[in-house]
Amino acid sequence: MSVMSTVRISSPGEWLLLSYRMPREPSTPRIGIWRKLKRLGVAQLGDGLVALPADARTREHLDWIADEITEAGGAAGVWIARPATKAQERQLAQAMADARAAEYRELRKTAGEQADATAAGSAERARAVRRLRDELRRIQRRDYFPPPERDAARAAVDALRYPDEITEDTA
Amino acid sequence: MKWATRAGVHIDRAACAWLIRRDIDPDAEFVFVTDPEEVPDEATPFDMRGAELGHHHDDCSFETILRRYDLTDRVLWAIARIVHEADLDDGRYDAPEAHGLDVILRGLSMIGDDSHTLTATKPLFDGLYEYYRRRNLLGREPA
Repeated sequence: MSVMSTVRISSPGEWLLLSYRMPREPSTPRIGIWRKLKRLGVAQLGDGLVALPADARTREHLDWIADEITEAGGAAGVWIARPATKAQERQLAQAMADARAAEYRELRKTAGEQADATAAGSAERARAVRRLRDELRRIQRRDYFPPPERDAARAAVDALRYPDEITEDTA
Repeated sequence: MKWATRAGVHIDRAACAWLIRRDIDPDAEFVFVTDPEEVPDEATPFDMRGAELGHHHDDCSFETILRRYDLTDRVLWAIARIVHEADLDDGRYDAPEAHGLDVILRGLSMIGDDSHTLTATKPLFDGLYEYYRRRNLLGREPA
């Protein structure tokens, strides 16, 4: 595995914390909430405690999720927080960047497999490109500290679409 | 009537405000608040935590308002699918327009205040409405 890049952080910024607890049963709402949090790319700080960098979009998403938890009979709170030290924030950001890096690597691998499995210009190839672009977009939306793996994944998907132009952009 | 929503208007709130003025209350007056406790007593809150006109059962607020006011216009529901995806991005609908609309709204919120965003998005939603109205009539993409 390649060496992980280091996330650069100038000064501790604002974070949003969602603290919550939900009834164990029924499990469907619990799983629904967990899926939503995962899609947002939250960092898990503890049991029933997740974090995201604060911005208008993350605030909105966590607010609604908190509401949904309450409606499902649980309890939830959204907090604005600042890490006490830069190191602590770096650790958090690094864990999030590493999680995204793994997703980008997986995507790049799939793109490579598709390059072998489908013919350039075929309808099958076009479908694979569409699917991979959707997936790439989903990962990017939850990528708050982009690792270098992002560009490699992007390039691999573009190369799948334009096999003749790969050398220019990915060198 | 007075209507209240969260400040920092994005796609769902802009679409709701457009819908409220268009189909529910032509004289609607909008108040933007940063905390639910700031909602004036006489105002109806929408797209806020705890509000009836908010997100419910995986619906965004625009969809909730359509349901709550029995608005069955197919064109409005076509717009609802785009608003839903632009707001929640949960893959429930196939709405490729959503991503572009999301970016436009985010950009608008960077260059003006909330009433500017509402003013700027009115013709945007009017245009979307006309586009999907024609598409429904033609049964294909209108030119």
